[in-house]
Amino acid sequence: MTTPTWVLVAGVAVAAAGIALSAAPRGLRAGLVLQALGVALIGIAGGLVLIDGAGVGSQFGNGLGPTVGVDALSGFFLVGVALVSTPALLYARGYLPGSHHAPAIAATSGVFVLALVGVVVARDAVTFLMTWELMSLAPAVAILLTSRTAETCRSVLVYLGSTHLAGVGVWLSMLTLAHLGAFTDPHALAAQPALVRSLLAGAALVGFGTKAGLMPLHTWLPRAHPAAPGHVSAVMSGMMIKVALYGLVRMLFEWLAPLPGWVAPVLLGAAALSCVGGVLYALMQHELKRLLAFHSVENVGIIGLGLAAALLLADAGQRQLAALAFAAAMLHTLNHALFKSLLFLCASSFQRQVGKLDLDRLGGLLRTMPLTGTAFLVGAMAIAGVPPFNGFASEWLTLQALVQLALHVGGGGTVMGALAAAALAATAALAVFCFVKVVGLVLLGAHRQKAVASSREVPASMTGPVIFLAGLCLAIGVVPGGVLALMRHLSPYGPLPAHTLRITLAVPGSGVFAPLAVAAFVAGCTAALQLARRRAGATAPSPMWICGQVPDSRLAWTSAGFTKSLRLVLEVVLRPQRSVSVERQGVIVHSSVHESHVPHLFDTLLFRPALGAVLAANRVLRRMQSGSLRAYLAYLLVTLAAVLTVVRLGVR
Amino acid sequence: MRGDATAVAFQFAGLALAPLVPGMIQMVKARLQGRRGASPLQPYRDLRRLWRKRVVAPHDTTFVYRMAPSLSAAALACALLIVPFAGSTNGWFGSDMLVLVGLLALARFATAAAAWDPGGGFSLMGAGRDLMFSVFAEPLLLLAFVLVALGAGSTDLVQMVAAAGHAHVASTPAHWCAALAFGLVVLVETGRQPIDNPDTHLELTMVHEGPLLEYAGRDLAMLQWTAAARHWLVLVLAASLFVPLPLTAPANVLALAAVVTAFCVAVAFVETSLAKMRILRVPVLLGIGIAVCVIGLASWIGGGAT
Repeated sequence: MTTPTWVLVAGVAVAAAGIALSAAPRGLRAGLVLQALGVALIGIAGGLVLIDGAGVGSQFGNGLGPTVGVDALSGFFLVGVALVSTPALLYARGYLPGSHHAPAIAATSGVFVLALVGVVVARDAVTFLMTWELMSLAPAVAILLTSRTAETCRSVLVYLGSTHLAGVGVWLSMLTLAHLGAFTDPHALAAQPALVRSLLAGAALVGFGTKAGLMPLHTWLPRAHPAAPGHVSAVMSGMMIKVALYGLVRMLFEWLAPLPGWVAPVLLGAAALSCVGGVLYALMQHELKRLLAFHSVENVGIIGLGLAAALLLADAGQRQLAALAFAAAMLHTLNHALFKSLLFLCASSFQRQVGKLDLDRLGGLLRTMPLTGTAFLVGAMAIAGVPPFNGFASEWLTLQALVQLALHVGGGGTVMGALAAAALAATAALAVFCFVKVVGLVLLGAHRQKAVASSREVPASMTGPVIFLAGLCLAIGVVPGGVLALMRHLSPYGPLPAHTLRITLAVPGSGVFAPLAVAAFVAGCTAALQLARRRAGATAPSPMWICGQVPDSRLAWTSAGFTKSLRLVLEVVLRPQRSVSVERQGVIVHSSVHESHVPHLFDTLLFRPALGAVLAANRVLRRMQSGSLRAYLAYLLVTLAAVLTVVRLGVR
Repeated sequence: MRGDATAVAFQFAGLALAPLVPGMIQMVKARLQGRRGASPLQPYRDLRRLWRKRVVAPHDTTFVYRMAPSLSAAALACALLIVPFAGSTNGWFGSDMLVLVGLLALARFATAAAAWDPGGGFSLMGAGRDLMFSVFAEPLLLLAFVLVALGAGSTDLVQMVAAAGHAHVASTPAHWCAALAFGLVVLVETGRQPIDNPDTHLELTMVHEGPLLEYAGRDLAMLQWTAAARHWLVLVLAASLFVPLPLTAPANVLALAAVVTAFCVAVAFVETSLAKMRILRVPVLLGIGIAVCVIGLASWIGGGAT
C-alpha cells in the first residue's frame, strides 16, 4: 500500500474512534479533537494525491460492490473537506459543551464529515449513492437535535424535500451511467441517442444543482443552513454544497461526455442567475446567517460560471483557456469553502455571545470581540472580492475566463462571455454593498442592545480556528499562483501554462496580475500613511455631526435604510412589501408600526404554486383511497382484466 | 514593452499631478459660470492646509474608521501605478484592467465601511447611494473594457492602449459604444454632475462627499487626494483607450496632457450645462450605457471579428 493509502486509512480510523469517543458523555472534547485529527490526516492523504497526480485505490467501476479510490480531483475535495472540517470540529470543542444533546451532535457531525469523505472517495454508484444520502441526512439529524421548534421542523422538511428532488436526479443519472457502463468506457454514451444523453444531463443538472444550491433550485439552502448548529452550518455551507459540485464536475467533465450542446449555455444562465439573484436577496436579508446562506447561492453561481466557461472554451478547441477556466472554478470552490466557513463560525460566536443575529440589533462587536471581529472582517472582505484576499484572486480568474470566452469564441461566445462577465461585475459590486452593510451593522458603530455591550470575546478554542481560516484567506489571496501550481493535475484539459503558476498570474491574452506586489504595496503604503497620520499629533475626539441634534440610538441606521436606494431602483424586480399601521386617539398618535420585507419571489411565484398543484393532484388521487375493501377488490379486478387483455392482444 | 524608465517616471509624476485635474475642472467651471474662480493649484493649497492640521475623529471609532483614508489612498496609488504611459508600464503590479476594477472596489469598501463607524445618517446615506451607483457602474465599466479588449485581443492595458492607435480598431462602432459608456463611467467615478454635485454643502444631497463628512486634517487630505486620483485615473484611461495617441515618450505625454485638459473642459462644460439628476434616475442613465454596450457587442459580432 502506498503512503496516501496508509494516511487515508489511518485518518478514517482515527476519525471513527473520535466519533465513538465523542458520543460518550465525558469524551466530548477529546472525541472532537480526535475527529479533527482524523479529518486532517484524510486531508493530508488527499493533498499527497493532488500534488502527485497519480491516483490510489480503484478506478471508477460499473459494478455494484463497494470500491474506493482517490484521484487528483477527489484529492482536491478531500483537502477542501479537511481545511473546512478540521477548524470546524476544533471550534465545536468550545461551542458544543453546554448545549442540548452535545455528544449526539458531536457524533453526528463526525458522521457527516465522514459521509462527505465517502462521497468523494466512492468509486462505484452504490457507495456513492449511500454516502450521498448519509451526507444529506446527517445535517437534518443535527438540526433536529439542536432545536425542535415548528419553524426548524419546517426548514428540515423543506430541506429533506429538496434532497429528495436532488436524489431523484442523482440516482437516475448515476444508476443509468452504471447500467450503460459509462464509468469505465468513455465511448459508451456516444452510442446512445441524443434524447437519452439530454435526459441524463438534465437529471444530473437538476440533481447536483439542487444540492449545490443553483438558482432556481436553491430554496432549501437559506432555510436549512441557519438552523444547523454553528460548526455544522460551516461545513454544510463550506463543503456539502461543494461536494455536490464535485458530483457535477464528474458528470460534466468525465462521465457525460460528449455533452449535449445545450448544457453549457444553460449552466451559464443558471449560474449567472444564481450570482446576481443570490447576492441581491442576500442584500435584502436582516438575519446574518440567512444572509450568509444566500451568499452561498451567489458563490455557487460564480463557480458555475467558471465551469460553464470551461465547457464552452473546450468546445471551441481552446483547451488551454478551458483549463484556466476550470482552475478558476476550482480555486473559487476552495476559496468559498474557506471564507464561508469562517463567516459562519464567526456568526456562531456572535450568536453565542449575543443571542440573536438580527442585523439591526447588533453593532460594535469589533470592540467587544476584537479577534473574532477582525477575522470576520477578513472573511467579509474576501467574500466581497476585494484585493488582496482570496475571493478577488479567484473572481479575477473567473472574470478572465469569461472575457477570454468573449475574445476567443466568436458569435454566441462573445455575447455569453461579455454578458456573464458583466453579471459577475454586478455581483461583485453587490457583494461589496452587502458586506459593507454587514460589517457596519455587526462590527462597527454603537452597540444597539445591552447584550451586545456586555458581550465578551469567546475562548481560544473558538477564536483559534477562525484566525486560522482568516490566515488562509489572506495567504491564498496573496499567492494564488502557488495554490494553482499545487492543483496542476486537476484539469481534464491538461496542465495550465507554466507562466500562470508563478507568483504573478498571467493568463494567455491578459495582462499580468501580481497579487503579492499589489498586497505588499497597498499594505506598505497604508502603513506609511498611518505613520504620517500619527505624526500630526494626537487625535482629537469630537461628537458626530448630525446637524446639532443629540445622538439617539433609535435614530441609528438600519439594514433596510442603507439598502433603500437600491430597493427603490429594483422595485419592479424585488416587489418589496410594506405596511404601516398607526394607532391614534383623536388626533394624538399613540404608536405607529412600520413593517417591510422583501418576499422571496422564487418561493411565492415558483415553489408555492408548484406545491399547490401537487397537493391538488393529491387530493384528486386521495379519492381512490376510500378505505373500502370492495373498492380495492374492484381495482384488483380491473387491473387483472387489463393485464390479461394486454397479454391476449400480444402487446409486449 | 515593460519597465520603461520614462513610463515609471510619469506614473510617479501622476501621483503628484492628480490634484491638478479637479483644480482645472473647477477653474474652467468657474470661468464658464462667469466667475473668476480659484487657480488650478487650489487643491494643492487645500491639501497643504489640511496636512498641517490635527486629526479629529468621532468618539468610539475603531481601526476600520482610522485606516480607511490610508487604505483608499494606497489602493488608488497602486491603481495609478498600473495605468500605462507612453505605451509601457512598470511591471511590478502587472498591467491588467480587471485589477483596476478590484482596486477601485477596495477603496470603495474601505470608505463605505468607515461611514458605519461613527454611524452618522448623512455619511451612510452617501455611502449607500455610492454603492448603489456602483452596482450599475461596475458592469458598465467592465463591458466598456471588454469592448476595447475585443478590439485589442487582450485584457492587457498596454495592448489595449496600443490598439486605440490602430485605425481598424478605433473605427469600429464597438469602440465608439465603449467610448460612450466610458464617458458615463467617468462621470460616476469622479462624482460629477449630473450624477453627483461635488460642490454641494447640503448633506442630504451628498453622494461621494457624504462618507467624508466626519473626516478632518490629514485623513481628509488623503481622501481628497484619493478623489483627485480617481479623476486622474479615469481621465487618463479615457484618453489612452479612446484617443489614438502617439506611443513614443515625449509626444505621448504632450498629447495626453492636451487630451486630458480637453476632457477637463468637457467635464466642466457638462457640469455647467446639466443639473443634478434625481438619484433614482441615475441607474436608468447607467442602464442606457449598458444597453449601448450591448449594441456595441452586437455590432462587433455583426461586423465580423477580426
